[in-house]
Amino acid sequence: MSVTPVLDLRGVGKSFGPVQVLHDVALSAYAGEVTALVGDNGAGKSTLVKCLGGVWPMDRGEYLFEGRPVRVGSPREAAELGIEIVHQDLALCENLDIVQNMFLGREWRNGLVLDEAAMEELAIRALTGLSVRTIKSVRQPVSGLSGGQRQSVAIARAMLWDAKVVVLDEPTAALGVAQTQQVLEVVRRLADKGRAVVLISHNMNDVFAVADRICALYLGRTVAQVKASEVTYSQVVELITSGRMDGLDGSGAVAGRNGTGRLREAGRG
Amino acid sequence: MMRAAPSPEEARRHNLGTLLRHIHLRGAASRAELAEGMGLNRSTIMALTGELTAAGVVREELPREVRRRAGRPSLVVRPESTRVYVLAFDIGVDRLVAARVGLGGVILERRESARPRGPFDPDEVVGALASFTRQLVRRADRDAVCVGAGAAFSGIVRSADGMLRYGPNLGATDVSLGDALSRRLGLGVSVAIGNDANLGALAEHRRGVGVGCNDLIYLHGDVGIGGGIIVGGRLLGGADGYGGEVGHMVVNPGGRRCGCGSRGCLEAEVGEDALLARAGQVAAGRIGRDAVRAVVDAADRGDAVARDALCRTGDWLGLGVANLVNIFNPAMVVFGGTLRDIYLGSAAQVRSRLATHGLAAPRERVKLRTAELGDDTTLIGAAELAFSEVLNDPLEVLGRLRAASSGT
Repeated sequence: MSVTPVLDLRGVGKSFGPVQVLHDVALSAYAGEVTALVGDNGAGKSTLVKCLGGVWPMDRGEYLFEGRPVRVGSPREAAELGIEIVHQDLALCENLDIVQNMFLGREWRNGLVLDEAAMEELAIRALTGLSVRTIKSVRQPVSGLSGGQRQSVAIARAMLWDAKVVVLDEPTAALGVAQTQQVLEVVRRLADKGRAVVLISHNMNDVFAVADRICALYLGRTVAQVKASEVTYSQVVELITSGRMDGLDGSGAVAGRNGTGRLREAGRG
Repeated sequence: MMRAAPSPEEARRHNLGTLLRHIHLRGAASRAELAEGMGLNRSTIMALTGELTAAGVVREELPREVRRRAGRPSLVVRPESTRVYVLAFDIGVDRLVAARVGLGGVILERRESARPRGPFDPDEVVGALASFTRQLVRRADRDAVCVGAGAAFSGIVRSADGMLRYGPNLGATDVSLGDALSRRLGLGVSVAIGNDANLGALAEHRRGVGVGCNDLIYLHGDVGIGGGIIVGGRLLGGADGYGGEVGHMVVNPGGRRCGCGSRGCLEAEVGEDALLARAGQVAAGRIGRDAVRAVVDAADRGDAVARDALCRTGDWLGLGVANLVNIFNPAMVVFGGTLRDIYLGSAAQVRSRLATHGLAAPRERVKLRTAELGDDTTLIGAAELAFSEVLNDPLEVLGRLRAASSGT
């Protein structure tokens, strides 16, 4: 049984002047699953996210969305396809309330005036849909929210716009343990509601807590895309630090090869 | 012997129960949605909702949202959450909780107290819960009716009569708590008792992360480790209702001593004592959920001792999960109570163990999740237990209770 990934990047290359940052990167993300993108600093995670979000053009490689080749030339085009990226800085406006933030730039109008009631109701629904219970009012300014609550608002915003793919860049970095746990649960629910989620994280524990698949980058190459149920913690650490993985038989992941970056994936489907 | 076809009266009773259960579990629904969901025509639905409305368990209203479609909107049937409620109790090792839970599963009001560790005194527990109940009932609406009561107990409960057979961490043996509590409450409803993790499984299956998942295992961490196993949509009870005691699955023969007298039970390796002992917290006298959460927090902050304690605990938990996955092939394993924190803090160990010891076929698709109902999972489960009678035969139960209360 094979399922078409919502997002499928193959053989991606990207250079900045003489520096080649991405050599041969592949990343597939499936609906209803969390795909963790892991790799050491400088492995190319952020560059890859900027390429898939249309911030920077790819030099090489295929970009397939729901099985069709697409060209994503700008963040707006990515959003139109249904790709939402939650950056580390979250891009929330401190002085605006939660509803205003969630609809910023995409406000609903009822004739000439904003349809506040409808926007508020949708904002509440997006938050409750992710079982975010700690936020008391959607009319409070973002400046009064904790780090975890802000992250939840940013994720709910992606939910609101019916994104098919949500990319989260280090959502738990700089959060305390209670908030990290809440954000992980929100990330999991986002995928359980049918989104394809790409989670970038340095924290192996967070990765194992929520990921269905793990895509490991090493020096600008995808060295493995594996099901999280097939690998152990030490194998993933080995992939990140050395780009290799011992102890997996033929059914496991195999490193990317020959330009396309097409991988034999462990137990696909 | 052939069973005769159900009489119209039986069919009606069945349909009333099914409709009410739908509203109770899935929330307000339009008549059209109900008709579709139950496979009945709209006039039958109208007759059924009419009867339930007359009995005061649901009400029908115009939909709240402004719809942008032409035509007369279908009336929405809502549960009368404040008028029809149950009492739910959670008898944990460290806490006693009592709540008034309305139809539809809404916690209307709650009372909670810490329970000091020490011998289980049934009279004391009954007294505390009865006092909570008086406060809760007094604050209910005048026309509200209490349709049942249920309690979650962290120990082994006989399903036939609700007898508490054993509570290793509560020190209780053979106590008939349900009867004592029912008599003391004097509300005309009997108090049903279930194992806390079994009820937690029920709650997550009906209202939490496991909705729509018919094969799930719920693992509950309080002081010990409890389990509730749902197979094919039904709770696995075993011959006497003691089934699912996964906390006493031996994972480490010759390992740490367990409260049950054995050694190396999952509970002995993963329970509160094990984690706190490994983290060096026992000498400091810290106990309870807060102490467990403090270890997880310290591990996250980089405390080497706490991190090592959490990793080792996660290793044992993963081994237990691997065994369960191999035996039951669940679609989902849910971690609740303190196990939520332990799982999220040691997921790398848990899943590595599962990858190593789980059979490839059953582990391939098993989902590991945390309880969506948070710390209220067992309480909500107790409420579900309490609602079961009224959902089976709404009109009879309500008629009886209303007659009894007007007779006094």
